[in-house]
Amino acid sequence: MGNASYLAVAFEGILLIGALVVLLVAVVAGRSRAVWAPIAGASFLLAALAGVLQWIEVENGGGGMFFSAQNLQVIKSPMVVLDGFSAMASIVLGLVGFTAMLGSWDLVAKVGKRSAEFVALSLLAFAGLHMMAATPNLVVIFIGLETASISFYVLAGFIRADVKSDESALKYFLLGSLASALFLYGIALTFAATGSLTIYGVNSIRDFFSETVVSDPGILLVGMALMLVGLMFKISAAPFHQWAPDVYQGAPSGAVGLMAAGVKIAGFAALGRIFVGGFISQIDTWGPIVAVIAALSMVIGTTMALVQTDMKRLVAYSGVAHSGYLLLTLLAGVEGMSAMWFYLATYPFMIVGTFAIISTVSGPTSTSSPIEAMRGLSRRSPEMGWLLAIFMFGMSGMPFFAGFVGKILAFIAAGDAGYIWLVVVATLTTVIGFAFYLRVVATVFSGEDDDTTMIDPTLSSRFAVVIGATVTVVFGIVPWILIDVVRDALPL
Amino acid sequence: MGELIVFIIFATVALVSAIGMVLAKNPVYSAIGLLGAMFSIAVLYVLLDAHFVAAVQVIVYAGAVMTLFLFVIMLIGVDNREAYGPAVPAQRIMTAVVSIGLFAAIVLAGRAAWITGSNAFGTPDLNGTIENVSDELFGTWTVVFLSTVMLLTIAALGTIALAYFGTDVPDEEATL
Repeated sequence: MGNASYLAVAFEGILLIGALVVLLVAVVAGRSRAVWAPIAGASFLLAALAGVLQWIEVENGGGGMFFSAQNLQVIKSPMVVLDGFSAMASIVLGLVGFTAMLGSWDLVAKVGKRSAEFVALSLLAFAGLHMMAATPNLVVIFIGLETASISFYVLAGFIRADVKSDESALKYFLLGSLASALFLYGIALTFAATGSLTIYGVNSIRDFFSETVVSDPGILLVGMALMLVGLMFKISAAPFHQWAPDVYQGAPSGAVGLMAAGVKIAGFAALGRIFVGGFISQIDTWGPIVAVIAALSMVIGTTMALVQTDMKRLVAYSGVAHSGYLLLTLLAGVEGMSAMWFYLATYPFMIVGTFAIISTVSGPTSTSSPIEAMRGLSRRSPEMGWLLAIFMFGMSGMPFFAGFVGKILAFIAAGDAGYIWLVVVATLTTVIGFAFYLRVVATVFSGEDDDTTMIDPTLSSRFAVVIGATVTVVFGIVPWILIDVVRDALPL
Repeated sequence: MGELIVFIIFATVALVSAIGMVLAKNPVYSAIGLLGAMFSIAVLYVLLDAHFVAAVQVIVYAGAVMTLFLFVIMLIGVDNREAYGPAVPAQRIMTAVVSIGLFAAIVLAGRAAWITGSNAFGTPDLNGTIENVSDELFGTWTVVFLSTVMLLTIAALGTIALAYFGTDVPDEEATL
């Protein structure tokens, strides 16, 4: 094992050390003052830097599989894989985590003594999220999924004084546990059918498909279907989306950006790793199912978002629709992965920025945020008003914003895969979607002139929103910078 | 033949306990049903020559998990019906339909071939299965073993964060 094997787990290592340092500092220096801002920020930035180093290593041909079974000449059951896919996941998760932590900082300051737990849980959650993208082993994917999910259940219920926060956490926990159990059952049945838990290496799932004529894949189909359901739940794709609006609304506003963005990235990374990396030869089987789920997500997400009166529920339903657009990229197989990473490198920043603004307007511990609260925001806090408009344009897919390029790439991917009807559905829902995004923008820029309750955003949320808006605008105007990079973000 | 008899006895016990666990009105009876099911499954593991898994089944599930369940039942109160809230109409029927449907789907799917021809399982060395398991656990699966550390840390952290019932004092100095 050379240095590359340490580099392959550097992201998880840095965040784990960061979390432990936060806890140690909390014990040694006292819990009364939240001094862990620099530690949390540095951990996320260092983790992103490790991602850049991983990327360079992969570009120089240093990628590969690590931590495989000992004393063997062949690579058998590797536990960690270093490729463009996992390096890209490090960079994106590190930067999104950094921005989301800035957006959550108002909440961290509000929870006082418990802020060390909040920061440590967030750091560990992101380590778990990256494990889902960087391992070829289904068991490790499950452990990463649980690490992240359990942290997020706690974050959703962090405000104990608010019954809605409790309800949100319990709902998330019960439904999330069911989804995790289904995913685990899927792993077990896949193991029964293929005799392997790993995607790469000797005796892997891929080997199984290349060596065996699968004449009667019954159990394999059930296993794949259950794993699909488990992950679809996590990314809140319809019809497994019912938890998302309730959980987003009930969770403290300051924590939702972190949860929503992180789970989207890792959920799709795991879907790409398992289904495009492992089950690519079965794409004719799972492709149509994913296509139907994508269509349902786009239609249900868009139509339900039209009638929402709460900002957080609106973003939740728009997230369901975005899961649909993201699923289009899976249908194109390996060719779709770069489109997926373009989407995942831009859309989460819009979520994080939007929730930083919601948290500023309604308060970081609030559990509801009516759209009406945004009325006149362009005067009460000009920068927040304008930047919220940018995020809404970005999510809606307006040209010259990153969301437009992401959607176009996803549509092209689905079109190349032959799903023309799906592209038609996607285009229609995008057009309908403009209605509710523009309604928010209209609310922001309307209102009586005498309503002058000014909002003074904190420095941390300003930073979060500005970073998010910069990503949204820059990659909307000069997308080819990012397109050139994500072209190499492919699974091994 | 002896194996078959043991299997029939404990498979029956496992099924009856599992059904009893779901049907029992009293949560303590449910817990005892679960215990019976877990023990009988441990016996089935022994029949499959998986001694280590059988031991873990008894220690972890029949020991630790059951204790946890009993604590929760004691905390909620055995006779506390309101804690469960009003029943959803036709919940039992819906549950039965979904469970039987899933079971039927898996049985139908696996009817023709359970194992579709993999050669990944070697023949296990039956002498000293515990040594073999530890070889695997601290050899091949080291990363998994270590990453469960994160899970345990999160469990402890989450409990501390959620069990805190005091009033949060905002930290003005921390605001950036």
